[in-house]
Amino acid sequence: MKRNMKTVVGILLMFFSAVIAVPVPGGVAMAADTIKIGMTSALTGPYNEYGEGNRRAVELAVQKWNKAGGINGKKIEIAMLLDDQLVPDRAVQNMRKILDNKEIVGIIGPAGSGPTLAVINMAAADGRPYMNPIAQTPTITYPNGTDKAPRANIFSFALQNNVEAIILGKYVAKRFKKVGLIHESTAYGVTGVDLIKKELKTAAKIEPVAVESYNQKDQDMTAQVLRLQKAGAAVVVCVGLGADLAVLRRNMGRLNFNVPLVASNGALSLPYWEGAKELVIGTKGSMIAVFGHEKLNPAAAEFAKAYKAKYGVDRWWGDDPKRPQIFMSLSVSNGYDAATILFEGIRRANSTDPKKIIKAIESIRNFQGVNALYSFSPQRHHAIEPDDLAMFEYVKTPTGSKLSIAKD
Amino acid sequence: MEFAIQLVFSGISVGSVYALIAMGMVLTFWTTRVINFGHGSLLMVGALLTVVLGAGRLGFYKAALIALGITAVLMVLAERAAVRPLVKLAGSMGWIVSTLGLGIFLQGFAAKFFGSQAVAFPSLLFTNDDTIPFLGIRLSAQYLSILGLSLLIMFAMELFLRRSAWGRAVRAVAHDPDLSSIVGIPGRRVVVLSFAASGLLAGAAGIMTAQISGTIDPAFGFNLMVLGFVATVIGGMGSSIGALTGGIFLGVLEKLVGGYVSTAAQHGIAFAVLMIVLAVRPQGLFGKEEITKI
Repeated sequence: MKRNMKTVVGILLMFFSAVIAVPVPGGVAMAADTIKIGMTSALTGPYNEYGEGNRRAVELAVQKWNKAGGINGKKIEIAMLLDDQLVPDRAVQNMRKILDNKEIVGIIGPAGSGPTLAVINMAAADGRPYMNPIAQTPTITYPNGTDKAPRANIFSFALQNNVEAIILGKYVAKRFKKVGLIHESTAYGVTGVDLIKKELKTAAKIEPVAVESYNQKDQDMTAQVLRLQKAGAAVVVCVGLGADLAVLRRNMGRLNFNVPLVASNGALSLPYWEGAKELVIGTKGSMIAVFGHEKLNPAAAEFAKAYKAKYGVDRWWGDDPKRPQIFMSLSVSNGYDAATILFEGIRRANSTDPKKIIKAIESIRNFQGVNALYSFSPQRHHAIEPDDLAMFEYVKTPTGSKLSIAKD
Repeated sequence: MEFAIQLVFSGISVGSVYALIAMGMVLTFWTTRVINFGHGSLLMVGALLTVVLGAGRLGFYKAALIALGITAVLMVLAERAAVRPLVKLAGSMGWIVSTLGLGIFLQGFAAKFFGSQAVAFPSLLFTNDDTIPFLGIRLSAQYLSILGLSLLIMFAMELFLRRSAWGRAVRAVAHDPDLSSIVGIPGRRVVVLSFAASGLLAGAAGIMTAQISGTIDPAFGFNLMVLGFVATVIGGMGSSIGALTGGIFLGVLEKLVGGYVSTAAQHGIAFAVLMIVLAVRPQGLFGKEEITKI
């Protein structure tokens, strides 16, 4: 019995640590007169909300450019499209395959900080232009700090943690003295909370009364909520994904802990809205503002029209057939902008030489993307600034709730 | 004091979820000495089918009943395809991989046809806000219903095993399948029924637990299955009292560590306990040491 149990546990441990890369056919290799790009993302698995959204975005961007004649007469081709399921080891295997293909001109990276941090050194060493669509950890682009030089070939279209922390930190510091922080235990959650702590200190010399963590997909956060309650938190600030935020909010409700919940962009996702149901009312979250504006900018309107024509009103689009949901800026249009800027760089460089493309991207000024107006330089390789964000709030409506830009 | 009571109750509540899962695993262990590592995905299937079927005219209650039937049938099929061929080989541990594979297949199947994203699960019996005041704290009605179900199932399993003719048949099949068939016990039917009952419990656990988290996705149930397995080992393989005790012990320990030490450490403690139990008392708290005559 004893030996059998040990064998069972041993086999299980081996199984859980095993990783398998699952390639997804991304198209047949075409003639050399095409511009080839490679992409690894969470196309399947529990986090494909981001990966699949970005795949669609890149395809939309390719479709748009090819329809207009391609880049300087050459068609664009997604020559490698690989699925990493947001698992770092799989992302590394995929990135190796992409980098080994010398025909690849530009790379679209994974849909989260964990796999991106795992591949970023390889990509940086390779030197070909690499677009980070989602991963929020700032060290991906700025390994020595955001005030130091970026990695030469890495450009970020993510809502970087430091940018989100500024908005969240300032918002909370202005209104609360006793702040309780909670975060998922991933690189995204840990760095996010560290940056919010720094921002709270800078803005109002506030030290959080408690800092708690949870694992993604935890079904119960009672201990975390009780500790926040015991510490006397007057507000709970969370860095995490939507489904986990729903568990947190439901736990707060069960324990009658009715302080405001302010959260990172996950609060604006469908899993949070669906999971927390009527408890969402009052929750505030930070997000890229574009799809919250009354009138969409021209690039956003064009993108929305193209998305709806190709994919219809689906989970990425949201419930309202008239306009995309606010969260789309982080699950789809960020990838669209990342691909667009890469193509614009290749066009301006009129070359597939990595150094020339990078120089061309760094020369881009005031380029109207979907999510923001983009300007890059040798010192600035990130796209989204605090001014491109807004705090949103769930407000009650006769039929349930809706998101709008927070008034207070 | 209120803090401690709240932690203990929350531990009992979460532990009763582990216990419910552990009891489902115990059922198959009774008859075949097989632990179904695909059990977590059966939780997901039960909950997901309830949402999918219930979204139409059928309504969620009828959908839940159909989902329970489907999980029971799935387990019967799983026994036929992933367990029976492998337990025929003496000493084979291939069922570990085959049952895990079954779970991953079900996850993949659900992701392919219903999407990978989390979808909302309705409150069927109680809402998130339904609570009962007790010693100055609020007990969640959703958790209490799971605790009640776990206790009910444990008593039913014990009564069945000790007092019914079928229970004796189960014990006989578990002890010696060949000898039991010689004396006329329908061993095959006993095994099939134990798998069907295990599937039923998995479906019920999924439907009850999904109401607490509020959302489900294809990976739902996998982490819970691992903790249910730890609870089974702590309580003793094949013991329903052990499954309940192990689950609740694990839940309370997790919450006390989370509350008084660190929330980051609360999950690690389950595996620390697993290692200690395997080293010190591999038969678990209520399991019997097996002696093999050679």
